[in-house]
Amino acid sequence: MASPSPIPYDRRSSRASSTAGQPASDLLVVGGPPNSPSPLELFLRASNLPSSKTRISKIPPDLHMLEYVSSCDTNLICLICHSPFDKPVKLACDHYFCRDCLDHAFEVQPDGHKTCPTCRGRVDTDTGVLPVPKILEKMLDELVVKCPNTKSGCTWVDSRVNVNDHVMLYCEYTLVECPSHECRLPIFQKEFHKGCLHYTLSCEHCHTSLMKKDLEVGYITQRHQKTHCSNRFTACPHCDAEVLRLDLKVHVNDSCPKMVIPCPGTILGCHFTAERTEVIKHENACPMATMAPHFRDQQARIERNEARFEPLARKVGILEDGLSNITNMLYPANPNDSSFPVTNPLDPNHSDAFPPAPLIPTPDFRLPPASFPPVPPTNDQSQTPFNNPSQPPFDSQVHHLLTLHDSLRDEVSRIANALTDLEGRTNMMIINENQRVKDEMLHTNAAINSMRMQLHWLMSATLHQRTSNSTGTSTARAGGSTSSNSNGNGRAQGASGASTSLGARAEASGTLHAPMRRLSDSTRQDTKL
Amino acid sequence: MSAGAKKRIMREYGECINDTPPGMKINFDEQNMTEWEILLDGPEQSVYSGGHFKLKISFPTEYPFKPPVVSFKTKIYHPNVSNDDKGSMCLGMLRPEEWKPPNKVVSVLRLVHSLLIEPNPDDAIEPSIANEFKENRKEFDKTAKDWVKRYAK
Repeated sequence: MASPSPIPYDRRSSRASSTAGQPASDLLVVGGPPNSPSPLELFLRASNLPSSKTRISKIPPDLHMLEYVSSCDTNLICLICHSPFDKPVKLACDHYFCRDCLDHAFEVQPDGHKTCPTCRGRVDTDTGVLPVPKILEKMLDELVVKCPNTKSGCTWVDSRVNVNDHVMLYCEYTLVECPSHECRLPIFQKEFHKGCLHYTLSCEHCHTSLMKKDLEVGYITQRHQKTHCSNRFTACPHCDAEVLRLDLKVHVNDSCPKMVIPCPGTILGCHFTAERTEVIKHENACPMATMAPHFRDQQARIERNEARFEPLARKVGILEDGLSNITNMLYPANPNDSSFPVTNPLDPNHSDAFPPAPLIPTPDFRLPPASFPPVPPTNDQSQTPFNNPSQPPFDSQVHHLLTLHDSLRDEVSRIANALTDLEGRTNMMIINENQRVKDEMLHTNAAINSMRMQLHWLMSATLHQRTSNSTGTSTARAGGSTSSNSNGNGRAQGASGASTSLGARAEASGTLHAPMRRLSDSTRQDTKL
Repeated sequence: MSAGAKKRIMREYGECINDTPPGMKINFDEQNMTEWEILLDGPEQSVYSGGHFKLKISFPTEYPFKPPVVSFKTKIYHPNVSNDDKGSMCLGMLRPEEWKPPNKVVSVLRLVHSLLIEPNPDDAIEPSIANEFKENRKEFDKTAKDWVKRYAK
């Protein structure tokens, strides 16, 4: 919508341009300011100065940003921006959108495949975007809006069709560029003719550095001297007294006679509320107001005490826990046995459990809690036989603890002794056992050796017999047969049988193998020994 | 993000305030209006009842032409919520290809609410949880309740 054209009135109606454009060209003929800039610059300044209405840097209002006076019919609202339509268009599928919103929606879609944001129907961007009915435009034009410069102080409210003209031509609060050449800062249109106001000054009252425009003009809410400067007198909103703004708050809170305040007795229930002067009169008569300061004091004290009470309560809780822990440690097995005063003597419930005259017919010999910590000896002696005889009477819990500790220590040392004993015995046992096993191993080794020798003998005997069978069958058939016989059952027979048969066979077969066998035998014996 | 989009988010916030689904509270920061924080109480009739969940809705710069991103900041045992530190939720109208600019945040919030009551195992982001939901509903309920106790108190 913004146009880069240097001519300021291009967006306006023809009526506006004809009335404002004419004097501009007249002044151009008359002449520019002394520091004569370029002709274009001259034209712009000239066109702006006399009419003092517009300048090219004005931004036309964005209809999406407008504030509407009343809520608008939902049928007039664009589904994309959720504002009333701005320059609406219609798609072939009968869905309406703002022109800009539709363009944005199409931007993110791939080319050639534009779809309606509502129904996803295909849209031909050239022919599918249609104008809307006049009646819709009329309805939109009639919506009542506030001037976009409302925040700066403009009070203009009118139908939407006029907002562009208002902002571009008439609104005094539209920001324009500063008339000075060097300065690019914005200024309200109504201050335009005053020249550049963008220099700093210090306020004569409070010596704050400020820009000139803020000192005098500026936004209504920011006008320094009227509303901010703390060293200027201002009228109290209640009593018309002139006070420095600095002191206004104190004045209103503490001394303004017209300020409506409640009676100081409010905390006691007085409902009187009036101007300060009245309240002061009332105070003298009101008993509650007289009592209020004392009451407040008391309350503060109670609060202080409560604050102090809390850590104490916590501490008591911790101590109680500790005590019950100790009690449980001492008498874990019979927590209900109250024969010994182990329970909390401060426990009121517990002491109530011992009435002075018990209702039970049998005499109750349990110690009263008052006898704790020191148990009177007379009581003690009379009671111990009836009490738990296994539990010796102790002077105090500390004594009991100490004895308990001693007995535990004894126990521990006894256990330690037993452990060392056991260890020695186990060691001896292990050594004995080892010895026995070693002996057995030796025996087994010897047996294995003898068996190996025997096996060797048998093996060599078989070998000899085979060789003798193959070489000299004819010469020693009788010897061979005997040796084979002996070989057949030689394993069952003893070593002696084997040796005899071998001897016989050696004689029969010849002397060739005998030395070799003996040699090998002797070497093996050597290695074994 | 364009001024129009910001305006729209503002308007949608106004709409959400007037028409928030039950048990939801929106924390809206005007400085950073593209990130909404939503506090959500587990619906009474669901397994998530009693839990307090924190959600984040962030609006992309292309909003409303791209969908807002919904993520659970509180761990939740749900077939449609990813079981990681993102806790993202992506189904139905939240899918980029399904999103339409006319959709509103209120309807997104309603979708979340209805999904807590009735998860949609056919469009799940966590297939294992969806399977359990379909085949062993008891076990699913138990784990979901357990997680509520553990993470969403």
